[in-house]
Amino acid sequence: MARNRFVAEILTPEGEVFNEEIEMLSTRTTIGSIGLLANHEPLLARLEPTELRLYRSETDVVRFAQAEGYVQMSQNHALVLVEEAVDPARLNVAELTERVEAARRAGEAAVPGSEEAARADRDRRRAEAFLAIAAGAH
Amino acid sequence: MASQREVRTRIASFKNIQKITRAMEAVSAARLRRAEQRIAALRPYADALRRMTRQAAQDAGAEVSRLPLMAAHEQEKRVGILLVTADRGLAGAFNSQIIRAGLRLGTDVEAEQKQPVWFASGRRGVSSLTFRGHAPQGAYTGFTDRPSYADARRIADDLTSGFVDGNLDRVEIIYNGYVSPLTQRVTREILLPISEATILGEDDDVSEAPDGPRALVDYEPDAEEILRVLLPDYVEISIYRALLESTASEHGARMTAMRSASENAGELIEDLALEMNRARQAEITQEIMEVVAGAESLV
Repeated sequence: MARNRFVAEILTPEGEVFNEEIEMLSTRTTIGSIGLLANHEPLLARLEPTELRLYRSETDVVRFAQAEGYVQMSQNHALVLVEEAVDPARLNVAELTERVEAARRAGEAAVPGSEEAARADRDRRRAEAFLAIAAGAH
Repeated sequence: MASQREVRTRIASFKNIQKITRAMEAVSAARLRRAEQRIAALRPYADALRRMTRQAAQDAGAEVSRLPLMAAHEQEKRVGILLVTADRGLAGAFNSQIIRAGLRLGTDVEAEQKQPVWFASGRRGVSSLTFRGHAPQGAYTGFTDRPSYADARRIADDLTSGFVDGNLDRVEIIYNGYVSPLTQRVTREILLPISEATILGEDDDVSEAPDGPRALVDYEPDAEEILRVLLPDYVEISIYRALLESTASEHGARMTAMRSASENAGELIEDLALEMNRARQAEITQEIMEVVAGAESLV
């Protein structure tokens, strides 16, 4: 059964990557996975790095590897702001593995509890999430 | 008077210089267009982030001004000054006007019995500050041709952690704001603490009438927590915008500088061509006089 549709807009600092009507948006907030359908109540949530799925229909799904960001749902318009949104097919496993390692080394070198340690942890989690998406995509 | 050969060599070297400056002008024009596109691409993201920040700040209530990035420090002792310059020169007054404005601010800060702490992006700024004995605490180079968001984040991370940890009590940024390819305006902004007026003041969204009924928004996690993470992003975006504007200004300034260099080279070539003609004429006259004198001596 066709669902009601709503507009989803995905923006990054480099520009708009997606702006179309879809049936469902699936992503992950700091609290857990979330699926947004049309007429969802107004929401503002913090997003974790994960695979962002935009369902044009049940079978036609657009996927992005998404960095940290925010999703706002209001008046049947979903706005996703993320630092990066990459086509999973374009992820480079070797480079991501290197990023995970670099972040791990930086995390070990940083003073525990410092801003630098938090930064290294954030970079590592993002690279690990992208790596997991890349493993699924290839 | 210089000989024909000398003048010809000088003309050839000015023509070479003119070729280089023309090429640099063309390269800068192409890069300027790309930089302008990147500024335009950032705008929707930056506007949306600002709207979200404002919404979260309104719903977080009165506690907003106590958040670490918004709270003014009781005593202001150390002032961070971030100068946004370029890695390369040959762009007219582009770099020097930023350094001049920065040093002036540094003097003012010292006059208030406070200590300036220097940060600089771009090799020109870093080397100028080091040369003047103000070695920057944070030096960020190698990207001013095409800054990425990660570059802005690196700078923002250093500044915000310095501010939160109490090593900096105020942070200001000085950069070349992009007005048009011909005009750059030295722009000075306070990055930290983020003032409440910046977040709540600009009510440019017509759909969100303040006195109209507002839908109850569900926050995950709560509004204050979201605001706590939105604010560092707000600083990152402000720095990223400044880096992009500075890049566009740099290419604009270089384009203008190279155009006037090409024109100057053209004028010099014209002058030298005249000089060469005179030299050639003088040599011909000389030869005729010699021939005539020789012929006369035979009569």
